[in-house]
Amino acid sequence: MAMIEVENLTKAYRDRLAINSLTFSIADGEIVGFLGPNGAGKSTTMKILTGFLSATSGTAKVGGFDVFESALEAKRRIGYLPETPPLYPELTVRGYLRFVSELKGVPSKKRAEEIERVARVTGVLSELDRLTSTLSKGYRQRVGIAQALLNDPALLILDEPTEGLDPRQRREVLDLIKGLGGKHTVVLSTHILAEVKAVCEKVLIIHRGTIVANESLASLTEGKESGLEDKFIQLTAE
Amino acid sequence: MRNTWAIAKKELTVYLTTPLAWVVFTAMAFITSLFFMALLLSFKQVHDTVREVPGGWAQLPPEYQAFRNLTDGVVVNLWGVVLVVTLFVAPFLSMRLFAEERRQKTFELLMTTPTRPIEIVLGKYLGGLGIVLGTLGVTIVFPVILAFIGHGESGSSLEWSTVLLGYAGLLLWGATNLAIGMFISSLTESQMVSALVSFAIAMGWMLVKSLAPNADEPLRSILSYLSFDSQLQSLLKGVLDLRPLVFFSSIIVLFLMLTHRSVEAQRWT
Repeated sequence: MAMIEVENLTKAYRDRLAINSLTFSIADGEIVGFLGPNGAGKSTTMKILTGFLSATSGTAKVGGFDVFESALEAKRRIGYLPETPPLYPELTVRGYLRFVSELKGVPSKKRAEEIERVARVTGVLSELDRLTSTLSKGYRQRVGIAQALLNDPALLILDEPTEGLDPRQRREVLDLIKGLGGKHTVVLSTHILAEVKAVCEKVLIIHRGTIVANESLASLTEGKESGLEDKFIQLTAE
Repeated sequence: MRNTWAIAKKELTVYLTTPLAWVVFTAMAFITSLFFMALLLSFKQVHDTVREVPGGWAQLPPEYQAFRNLTDGVVVNLWGVVLVVTLFVAPFLSMRLFAEERRQKTFELLMTTPTRPIEIVLGKYLGGLGIVLGTLGVTIVFPVILAFIGHGESGSSLEWSTVLLGYAGLLLWGATNLAIGMFISSLTESQMVSALVSFAIAMGWMLVKSLAPNADEPLRSILSYLSFDSQLQSLLKGVLDLRPLVFFSSIIVLFLMLTHRSVEAQRWT
């Protein structure tokens, strides 16, 4: 079954076309690398999928629910990490995760348990009582991921989750994402091709608002070590 | 509605962990204390004068008559001051409601969790209302002081029905300012712009009354009807009147609806 079904999705801003008639689908349990040069329309696509922006035309469904018509049902199935981790500097990590778990409808009895689970998975257990404004960039990013994992959503949409992390944290986050595969569908946007090679099974490359590649990592790289870089540069050439 | 409550709680936490709400509480307490003391002094002076004048109250000009009792002489005048202070501080309380979410990018979080826009709007409004109530709550201490230390010719030193009706009028006024300010806040990313525009609107509204006398009918009636001064007059004087309730509630509902529109419209940017 397809977790994400996107058909002819178009988003026009006043003076330009951010994405132009995208059509793709992502199956349940897949980890998909969502690639493209800066300004290719990755974030716009993610914002439409998560219901933050509306599309100019076309449809997008998450778990069979139209993100526009049945927005709440679709949103219940999504955990989303935007480009900037959406933290409130005045709240502690615990207070913040509690707030998000309330919004996501985690039952009050399970809240403490659920907060501890996501904090453990993302390694912020020791930071639960710190104010989010005092966290380092790496921890802010992790709290952002922890927030996305709350209430165990079927689909995770992560916009550059390893941005600002040091190599060790990067690896930990990638391992974490890898561990989510099978159970969760993950859409991972990144600039770093090595990360895609490390965790993704499928690659979706978008360039100037259109899809230029949508296939498994293996078939795209044809087994070559530098295959992904070569393909990426070739496909996103002017 | 569970989400409304969660958002209201979060708003209260944020207000109370930043200096903003405390600064506003302090400003309100400070300014109203000064006026309270000044009013008490005037009250005393008038009463001293009355004792020296043969014939007492009947001989004094009408502007002295209000000072015959503590309720009209002190509390009602004090509520007039609170009214103006509220107009000045409300924009500072409402400015952050949406502008800050946009700036911090947390608006994206609110909009992508399974939360309805109306729940976001109501939650934020209730949270802000809590702080407005707190700000106005500071001032209830003055009638309480008067009730303890004052004494009147006929038993109780205060006419509580007048005091409380006036207070209800103030709450209504605070709630209205908050609703307008929240709408402005939903339009911008800058808290500064939000505060300035809300303040300009409140000031403009205050000037409506002074335009009325020079205008022709029917404009004059319309202007004086729209002036919040004349709407609040009866409540502040202790007359139970449902018209201002309807008037201000309509404005609140209108601005909550506008805010809701503005939040929903975010998707089409």
